[in-house]
Amino acid sequence: MTAARSPRVHPYGDGEFMLAYGPQDGPQILILQPLFEEMNRCRAMIAGVCRALAGRTIGCWLPDLPGTGESLRALDAVAWEDWLAAVEAAAATIREETDTPPVTLAIRGGALLDHRAGPKRLRLAPTTGRSLLSDLRRSALASGSDPAHPAGYTLSPALTEALSAAEPSTVGDIRTLRLVSDDRPADHRIAGTPLWRRPEPATDPEMAALLVDEISSWAMP
Amino acid sequence: MTIEDQLRAILRDVLGLDAKRAAALDADTFLFGAMPELDSMAVAGLLTEIEDRLHILIEDDEVGGEMVETFGGLVAFVKGKRGE
Repeated sequence: MTAARSPRVHPYGDGEFMLAYGPQDGPQILILQPLFEEMNRCRAMIAGVCRALAGRTIGCWLPDLPGTGESLRALDAVAWEDWLAAVEAAAATIREETDTPPVTLAIRGGALLDHRAGPKRLRLAPTTGRSLLSDLRRSALASGSDPAHPAGYTLSPALTEALSAAEPSTVGDIRTLRLVSDDRPADHRIAGTPLWRRPEPATDPEMAALLVDEISSWAMP
Repeated sequence: MTIEDQLRAILRDVLGLDAKRAAALDADTFLFGAMPELDSMAVAGLLTEIEDRLHILIEDDEVGGEMVETFGGLVAFVKGKRGE
């Protein structure tokens, strides 16, 4: 099964790419990653979860949104609508490739975009755009750098404005997971550490195993 | 859980401290500038995690200085915010 465990690189949308893990004939999950620095911090955990789900015959698709990850576009030229359109395009590509409408797993800021992917969504520790912007601004303040270019991320004024008002949509078939340490509303809580907060990328194998169980039982028809 | 213990748990989660280091945090423990894990990005995450878990709002002009210099300073800041 080694072939199934190596991700494939798949084009989608307007010159963007996503990684695809696992078989194309089972349930298909579109995974919306956290935004900004949190994406880097969670990358190892998410890749591990994708490999484990692929081993359970669940296909996982991991797009890099325009201006993030391996995208060739510059973040400062990206608008909020570009991200929403990319999510829609990724879902359409998965549907075309697999004949299966994907369900969506959205992590942290990814939940701000998930309503454009489809009705069935699982969220892990969803957050607001305001909170993400506070993080970026504070890191700039704390490091004495220019608040217009927080932590090396240059956002267009339009993206900043859209993000400041962005909240996770409440429309659809949504299941929300949070960590036990987070007492905000959730359908289920799992033990684990907020890896998206760690300055250095970290893993939490026990949390990853719990997540894989949660995701697979939710995604299976 | 006391505010002190909640803040120890948050620092442990955010910085990846082991249980022993987290338990050893006391009022005189130096944080920002002394703990290698606590860089400026981590301070930002720490403050947001404190907002989320302890239900306070932290303004930009309150960030920095004494509040993140020592563990005691952080505890005093949070208690002040919560009116305790």
